[in-house]
Amino acid sequence: MVSRIELLQGTLDFIVLQTLRWGPRHGYGIAQQIRANSNETLQVDTGSLYPALHRLERKKWISADWEVSENRQRVRVYKLTAAGRKQLAVERSKWELLSAAIAGVMNPPVAESET
Amino acid sequence: MSRWFWKKRAQRDLDLNDEIRAHFDMAVRDRMARGESQRDAEDAARREFGNVGHVKEVTREMWGGVWLERFRQDLRFAVRSLRRSPTFTIVASLTLALGIGVNTAMFAVVHGVLLRPLPFVDSGRLFVPSYKANAFGPAAAMFDDHYARLERDTSIFDRVASYGTSSLTVTGLGDPLRVSATRATSQFFSVLGARPALGRLFDESEATKDGGTSVILSDALWRRRFNADRSVIGGSVVLEGVSRTVVGVMPASFDFPAGTDVWQPWRVIADPKTNVSFIPVIGRLKPGLSPQLAQQMFAAYASHLPVVDGPPRAGLVAALIPLKTVMVGDVRTPLLIFSGAIGFVLLIACANVANLLLMRVASRDREMAMRAALGAGRWRLIRQLLTETLVLTSVGAAAGIGVALATLRLLLVLAPQNMLPRADGIRIDPWTVAFTAGLTIVTAIVCGAIPAMHASEQRLRASLAAGARTVTGGRERLRSLLVGGEIALALVLLTGAGLLVRSFERMRAVDLGFDSRNALAVTVDLPSARYNSAADMREFDARVLANLNAIPGVESAGAINWFPLGKGGISGNLFAEDGREVPSGYNVNALSVSPGYFRAMGIHVERGRAFTDDDRTTGARVAILSHSVAEKFWPGGNAIGKRVASSEKPDPSDWLTVVGVVNDVKGRATSSRAAADYVPLAQTNFPFFLRRVTFVVRRHEAAATTPVAVATTRILREADPNLAFETVASMTDLIGRTTAEPRFQSRMLLTFSLAALLLAMIGVYGVMSYAITQRRQEISVRIALGAAPGEIIAMVLRRTTMLVVPGIVVGLGASYALTRVLNRFLFQITATDPTTFAFVAGILVVVALAASAMPARRAGKVDPVEALR
Repeated sequence: MVSRIELLQGTLDFIVLQTLRWGPRHGYGIAQQIRANSNETLQVDTGSLYPALHRLERKKWISADWEVSENRQRVRVYKLTAAGRKQLAVERSKWELLSAAIAGVMNPPVAESET
Repeated sequence: MSRWFWKKRAQRDLDLNDEIRAHFDMAVRDRMARGESQRDAEDAARREFGNVGHVKEVTREMWGGVWLERFRQDLRFAVRSLRRSPTFTIVASLTLALGIGVNTAMFAVVHGVLLRPLPFVDSGRLFVPSYKANAFGPAAAMFDDHYARLERDTSIFDRVASYGTSSLTVTGLGDPLRVSATRATSQFFSVLGARPALGRLFDESEATKDGGTSVILSDALWRRRFNADRSVIGGSVVLEGVSRTVVGVMPASFDFPAGTDVWQPWRVIADPKTNVSFIPVIGRLKPGLSPQLAQQMFAAYASHLPVVDGPPRAGLVAALIPLKTVMVGDVRTPLLIFSGAIGFVLLIACANVANLLLMRVASRDREMAMRAALGAGRWRLIRQLLTETLVLTSVGAAAGIGVALATLRLLLVLAPQNMLPRADGIRIDPWTVAFTAGLTIVTAIVCGAIPAMHASEQRLRASLAAGARTVTGGRERLRSLLVGGEIALALVLLTGAGLLVRSFERMRAVDLGFDSRNALAVTVDLPSARYNSAADMREFDARVLANLNAIPGVESAGAINWFPLGKGGISGNLFAEDGREVPSGYNVNALSVSPGYFRAMGIHVERGRAFTDDDRTTGARVAILSHSVAEKFWPGGNAIGKRVASSEKPDPSDWLTVVGVVNDVKGRATSSRAAADYVPLAQTNFPFFLRRVTFVVRRHEAAATTPVAVATTRILREADPNLAFETVASMTDLIGRTTAEPRFQSRMLLTFSLAALLLAMIGVYGVMSYAITQRRQEISVRIALGAAPGEIIAMVLRRTTMLVVPGIVVGLGASYALTRVLNRFLFQITATDPTTFAFVAGILVVVALAASAMPARRAGKVDPVEALR
């Protein structure tokens, strides 16, 4: 069984923004995409996803439109705004810094004074 | 905004439903595409999706403005849930209505009297320059000669004015009428920034030393006496027998000094050589001058004023006192004490309501658990419960306004006359309503916070299973704590009330030096226009006295110029021909009395004799000393036959021979000035000493009061139909008036503390009877195992004692710290009087045990069979 990780709010926002970089998507699509891209590791809880989407929309980082799906169902589709793109860049560089730092902590260069 | 808001909100809700629906449908479709059956796919999708309600709830929270929606929801729910338990709602909101109502009333009083600005233009710049000195009491006044200089000096004040009030008689239109007349210097109205409603203000040229010949009427007098006739301007009014021209009418809003009916133009002519008096002064600060700087300037100014003859001026402290402070001076502290006391009552009421809420919450554990399971967060539950409390306090506050109106009416009727200055401004106004609204919210938080936090905590432990025994330990401790707090607060109030009541009793027990039983008194002022010589007034006095003595049932009648229970008086130095030297500040009340006065008053002649009809104008000049004066000059009691005078170097004819010594008399228990020298009215030649006269009539014990009072009134009417005088009053009533304030204060505090006691009793009863309901099982087991009902009752009473004792200990400590605010009002008793403390603590224990008697009896009757169920 694949172990699943619960996402922190800030991380989820970042991942949602990142996911929308490849084009507009509805909520279900975003959840599926995150799951697929993370090899089923990241399971996005709807109780976190929808609040995150509505929060990002309120911050004007994403915008939403109603479209009609192929099954003639009304679906709400989100897309990245210019402000969202800018925010994503900021988050990304922060993320890179952080992951490099964590990687450094986890795999320190072989130290001379190891006992 | 609201309709638009709710419409938009409803649309967004529908959208969110669609969005979630679409998500769910897509998930199902994907699963079916992967080969699952529709049913399996739907089940799996639903599991995966989780709690739809919760998802919607947390998503909505991101929208902003959600609190408003929540509040509406909570409100609707609160109303519904309160309706379901009407008894609880009625009891709790009535308790709150009382608590909030009396506090609202108190605020209306405090706001009307203390906080509201004075009704004068820029009233913050009005100050009273005054000299404070202990010998002259708290009256804010300054020497007239210094005032005369201040009038010419403009370095501190833009302008200053002085005034004086007296009681005069208006005649000529119907019955003679006593009016309150204020003589005011020419800048008086402009200092206060007042304009007349009709006519004009006084001209500088109209002002004289004794009140000129023109008058300005108050709105009230104008309406009452002149039917609001505008043509009154230029007309005349007979004041003290002299016709004066009406030049103006003031608007109703102008009432300074309070209760003035007419103003007269006045000029202060001070001659420091002959007669120096203290007069009240008001001044408007010079524009741009800060009050602090003005203070310093006035202190410096006063210290440079010349010191001439007259009363000793050493030890006087010059200060500028804000006019408002002077006007509300005496009443400030009692009002603040009452406010504090009444705040305590509300706190106790809150504790009771909190206890009720805790009980209610206990029965709602399952509901709370259910709500938590359905996705309500802890904060959400707290908010919900607080909203419920807010609805409760709002209902209480709405009813409380009615309580406040009733309380105010009662208060204004019961408060002794003149105790509350500016009483006309006491009403329920927007400020008061705002205060009540604020108080409502605070009360809701105070009452509801503990139960709400507690309930939301319990939800985790509470089980949905119906038969589960509830966990009550924590809650019981909380409830005991609340009741302990109530006991402590009630104890503080009771101690304060107990001290005031005891002090009042001691005040009443003081021997005033005369016998007030079976005696009536009436005071008359003889107008100078018709009684311009001493002989006229002496003749009037003698004629009235002769008739009074002839009333059937009258034992004796007498007259005095400055009655001990009345207002005013003159004190001066007294010198003995051969007596010991007395300190220069030693002042003695100088009184003139008729021969029958001592008998009519029941004053005891200790040595020598009382005055007789032979002590006439032509006879030898005589005096009677009060006990303490005689002892001061001739210790050992040999004053008879000695000679005294009121000036240091008297003319030979000014010496008075002491013919008697009487016991000391004082008008009120708290006053210390009992020293007096009496001379016969018949030998009093200075008209000023004869203007006011009080007749004292003592009836035989067997005679009825009313006929004597009626006869007295008739005799005065017949003696001078143009004389206005107050109702003939019994001396007991007059003494009652002098103690009206302490009596009112002790009764107020007693009422508050009894209310507090009642509430605390209800609290104890509630906690104990609830505890017993919770422990029926345990009690029945005990009884089944052989405990006698008596033992069970004893156990309950022991528990009550344990509940109450910590509260009493805390309360005694708090009382010890707080009752000193009463110090100023206590007479012959200390603020930490151990007897009062012990007595009050005892009362509380007894009352608490009485409150738990019923629950205890019920506990003793528990059926042991219950143990089996």
